[in-house]
Amino acid sequence: MLDLLWLVPALPLAGALALLAGALRFGKRTTTAIGVGSAGLTLAAVAAILVQYAGMHGETVARHVFNWISAGDVTVDFALRLDPLSAVMLSFVTLVGFVIHVYSIGYMHTEGDRAYARFFAYLNLFMFAMLTLVLGANLVVMFIGWEGVGLCSYLLIGFYFDKEYCAAAGIKAFVVNRIGDFGFLLAIFWAFKVFGTVDFAGMATALAADPGRYAAAVTPIALLLFVGAIGKSAQLPLYVWLPDAMAGPTPVSALIHAATMVTAGVYMVVRCNFIYRLSPTAMLVVAAVGGVTAIFAATIGLAQNDIKKVLAYSTVSQLGYMFLAAGAGAFAGGIFHVFTHAFFKACLFLGAGSVIHACSGEQDMRRMGGLAKKIPVTYWTFMVATLALCGIPPFAGFFSKDEILGRVFAAGAGNLNGFGASYLVLWALGLAAAFLTAFYMFRAVYMTFHGEFRGTPEQWHHVHESPGTMTWPLKILAAGSALVGLLGVGTAITFGTDLNWFESFLHRVAPTVEVEHAPALATEWVLILLSVAVALAGILLARRFYSGAEAFAAPQRMAERAPAVYAAVANKYYVDEAYDRAVVRPLGKLARFSWKGIDTIAIDGTLNASAFFTEIAGDLLRFLQTGNVRNYALFVLCGALAAAAWLLL
Amino acid sequence: MTWFLVHFAEIVFYSLAAVALAGAVGVIAFRSPVHAALSLLGTFLAVAGVFVLMQAEFLAAVQVLVYAGGVMVLFLFVIMLVKARDIPDEPQYVRRLVPAAVGLGALLAALVGVGIWAASGGLPADGAALRMVAGAPLGNTEAVGWSLYRDYLLPFEVVSIVLLVAMIGAIVMGRKESGRGGAA
Amino acid sequence: MRADLIALLPELMLATLAMAVLLAGLASGKARHGLLGAGAVLALAATGVTLWLAAGATDPGAHFFSGMFVLDHFAIFFKALFLLTAALVVLLSHDYLKRNDYRPGEYLALVMFATVGMMTMASGVNLAVIYVGLELMALSTYILAGYFRREVKSHEAAAKYFVLGAMSSGILLYGLSLIYGATGTLDLATLARVLASAKPGPSALVGVALLACGFLFKVAAVPFHVWTPDVYEGAPTPITAFMSVGPKAAAFAMFLRVFIGGLAPLAASWIWLVGVAAALTMIWGNVAALTQDNVKRMLAYSSIAHAGYALVGLVAGGPAGVNSVLFYMLVYTVTNIGAFGFVILLESRGYAGETVADYAGLARRHPAAAFGMLLFMLSLGGIPPTAGFMGKLYLFAAAVNAGYVWLVVVAVLMSAVSLYYYLRIVLQMYLREGDGAEPATLVAAPWTERVIWACGVAVLVIGLLPAPFLAAARAMAGAVGLL
Repeated sequence: MLDLLWLVPALPLAGALALLAGALRFGKRTTTAIGVGSAGLTLAAVAAILVQYAGMHGETVARHVFNWISAGDVTVDFALRLDPLSAVMLSFVTLVGFVIHVYSIGYMHTEGDRAYARFFAYLNLFMFAMLTLVLGANLVVMFIGWEGVGLCSYLLIGFYFDKEYCAAAGIKAFVVNRIGDFGFLLAIFWAFKVFGTVDFAGMATALAADPGRYAAAVTPIALLLFVGAIGKSAQLPLYVWLPDAMAGPTPVSALIHAATMVTAGVYMVVRCNFIYRLSPTAMLVVAAVGGVTAIFAATIGLAQNDIKKVLAYSTVSQLGYMFLAAGAGAFAGGIFHVFTHAFFKACLFLGAGSVIHACSGEQDMRRMGGLAKKIPVTYWTFMVATLALCGIPPFAGFFSKDEILGRVFAAGAGNLNGFGASYLVLWALGLAAAFLTAFYMFRAVYMTFHGEFRGTPEQWHHVHESPGTMTWPLKILAAGSALVGLLGVGTAITFGTDLNWFESFLHRVAPTVEVEHAPALATEWVLILLSVAVALAGILLARRFYSGAEAFAAPQRMAERAPAVYAAVANKYYVDEAYDRAVVRPLGKLARFSWKGIDTIAIDGTLNASAFFTEIAGDLLRFLQTGNVRNYALFVLCGALAAAAWLLL
Repeated sequence: MTWFLVHFAEIVFYSLAAVALAGAVGVIAFRSPVHAALSLLGTFLAVAGVFVLMQAEFLAAVQVLVYAGGVMVLFLFVIMLVKARDIPDEPQYVRRLVPAAVGLGALLAALVGVGIWAASGGLPADGAALRMVAGAPLGNTEAVGWSLYRDYLLPFEVVSIVLLVAMIGAIVMGRKESGRGGAA
Repeated sequence: MRADLIALLPELMLATLAMAVLLAGLASGKARHGLLGAGAVLALAATGVTLWLAAGATDPGAHFFSGMFVLDHFAIFFKALFLLTAALVVLLSHDYLKRNDYRPGEYLALVMFATVGMMTMASGVNLAVIYVGLELMALSTYILAGYFRREVKSHEAAAKYFVLGAMSSGILLYGLSLIYGATGTLDLATLARVLASAKPGPSALVGVALLACGFLFKVAAVPFHVWTPDVYEGAPTPITAFMSVGPKAAAFAMFLRVFIGGLAPLAASWIWLVGVAAALTMIWGNVAALTQDNVKRMLAYSSIAHAGYALVGLVAGGPAGVNSVLFYMLVYTVTNIGAFGFVILLESRGYAGETVADYAGLARRHPAAAFGMLLFMLSLGGIPPTAGFMGKLYLFAAAVNAGYVWLVVVAVLMSAVSLYYYLRIVLQMYLREGDGAEPATLVAAPWTERVIWACGVAVLVIGLLPAPFLAAARAMAGAVGLL
């Protein structure tokens, strides 16, 4: 079965090609059979492969599919690599991917036949690219997948291309990602120059044999790779494309922009951990960018009213956690969070999709409320996933987030690489972000599912539970959100007994960087209780603000009927604005800056600036490209003169 | 006087070169096409003179016969036939380019001149070396023949295709409307 | 003499067949498009076979015609590429000539003569041979650019191209004569020996500079690119396609042969000149392309930019650099011909060509052709899994290995910039609806479509399985003595 590893990316590719070839003629039934069928077959193939792989004690299996580039001293094979790390990625990418394919049957059923086929073709193509990225045995194959997922992301964000902002969002995603890819590409070239190979195994062997020889190159390569990761995984300062990417269909947001593609950056850093662990500077940069992004995006999440935007900022924030873990040397911990996050965030997005579906396309939480009664399955699954995200035991997020915070604290207390104080600060940021996460997630839960409905009566009338193709995926993912955490129960929780299967599985390819003085068991328990307490505090605060009789009692109507009551309600209502002033502004002047500032100044500014320079270039062009032959001749003469002068002088 | 005799060849060369250059300038400076053509004739003749100076009498003769004779006569025919009028004054923006063009051209010429001046020590003194084939001196015409039909046979043959293409071009460009429906 | 003629046989064959096509065109009273087109393609194919036979019968290290001509692997690779280019262009031209109602005879003969010129350039190891090959190619292209005589733009293109081309030829010849004066030889191998043995004087340096100018003009590098946009826009579109790949590749062949070969001892002097020209070309070409609305003109600037990328490989030098340029030329040829093929398909509104906005919603109306264009745009932008990515990867890797990191940084940055305008077309096709008023439609052109298909498949195959093509390019450049 392991020899059939190539089937894993090939199956969805075949599905995508079949759909593209027949895109014009297939009805929905055929499209579903091909699109979802190929995803299902992929899942089956992966399951069979992983079952066999489970008995192999984490060996690395490399399979050369074909000799790809071979010319002179450049040799790159199209080779796939199955090791514990890619096995973990494979498992959830195919599982979550398949579930989301199923969900899309229901979610996209209102589209026309061709749009439906197009959607599944892109989705299958994405699976192919993502699996290539995960399985790639060298940087170039990984880059192929990397670009492929970017392209699919671009196509799917702009899926509703009749809406101007969707197309714009697609372009924004692509352009911002290219900035990151620029770094990645340079890193590949550099690595090739230094190591003479871009094969992961080859580079690791070279580094292990003689670390001193490559000492000068390690940090720049690691940082350039990280530039790529920043773009793909939406970290500061390149995170801006991800919230906009929510313009795409919700299954896309769940699959690409929450569970899989955006975690590719984390995967890449962990995949290259043999480079990172040799560069304390790069490690600290990774941790710092991750930690700051985690708190920063969380503060923005506080103020969002669009349910998908809340989840988008939450994703940015959680990705920050993953980088924080990797930067603190907890590579397995970072991947563990990738793993659990895939389940609960996909569940949240699909839940949000179900809510939007129920509310006839409404995404603004201010016009929702009280939906729990009408769509109970969505509510309960959303609740489970939220608890997981907030880090409430025993749900999955608790174990992974706790692992990260514990490791970062350990890095700080144990003075990892001599940057102990920095890691302690980052730990504090992470803890604060955990509080904010709990708060904004429960704010979303209360605004969406509790209280009174705030939309129109017609909307309320139309609210209905989604069909089975949509609720079953929710149930599966909710079950995952509840349970998968048990795969990586931290050592402290079991009072020192090592039951952390996840970490020991990954130990072979991504061992955690251990500090000399690990914190005592009691300290770890204090940390665990602290993070749970912080999460509970966030939940309780949200409950005080957003539930009960006084919350969101339609201020407009009440203001008209009873101005006196309105004042009281308004006070409650102003809590939102009060925390906007009291929390968002002081806590995150930076947040404000980015929200309005970076977005308008930097992004629009960049666009305006590029338009401006384009205009200048255009003017210059008109000046030089006059169409007059004599002008051209003069230009050529100038060139000849410059060339002659150059060589002679 | 002795100075004059010693440097006679150089004096002649520079005089001829000056005539050739002046003629070339005249081609682009004269407004009347006939004057321009005659000015070109001056250049051709001066170049023929340079050939003589280099003891390449055959080339000089060819230069006079083909260029000064054939080509120039054709030019003049064409000018008469199409009744070309004087070239009108260039528009203002073109005239503004003239100083720049002159300046840049002079600079380039100066650069090249310096280059050649600095290197002139190594140049072969005369064309005598070219005339030795298999150790035996050859006549002028023979030397050209050896060169053209033996050493440079390939480029010579390719040039014949170039000429063919030029003819095709002249016909394609000059033919009256090639005609819809394919009438020749 | 017999061996000489065998080595020259492909050129002889093609020139003879070109004359035959010319005569057949004159003899057939009505313009027999199909017959003549088929004849031209067959002639090119027959030349290809001859090339194969001649290559088999010839020692790649041998020199012919008093040491002026070689048939080494390098030359064979380029000749095959030229024949492929010419065949594709003839096929592209078939529907186009018919639709616009121009006589095919002279046109096809000129394409073939230009190909003879290009082949001569690739084989020449003597500056005189290279120069006459260049002139043959250039003169044919001047006429082809102005072939559509009822179009003012075509006239204008020919006139501009001719005047500026003549000027660049003058500069080039001046450079040649200075080099000859300084070294007493036009033979590249002797030139390399002479230049290596003694410190070159200033007149040789000026000669090299002027030679570089002439060559840079032919590859359309900044600042000698000024003619390109006007000429590319005005020429008949299949000829634009031809000019953007064939003569450009030929110019690179001679550039490599002369600079990496004969002028190698002076590399320290010219490498910076070419390097800076490469950087300027990439920057200027890409930035200017950003501002274009006319697709043909945009592709003109894009082809300027691509000359810049290829120059990076030239600067890198060595077998890897030469190899990467060869491979890139192959990649670029199939991609660009495909892209121009699509432009031809779209020229339903007459000669002017379409603006980017006219591409709106094409994916919906013509999904297959739009998909091809998507491939070509991705390939030009250098995005995997297309051939363009492989080409760039290999070029840049060669340059990084040779230590020109700064140049690669410019190149990668600029290819990121280039995505903007390539994706603009993709965006229009896939993510916009036509305004409905007068949507551009594809004209019926079966042969053009077939060429697009062939190029699209090639772009994907080279992108996914570059190994055999790279191996071919390496085998060719592996024997780089180039002299």
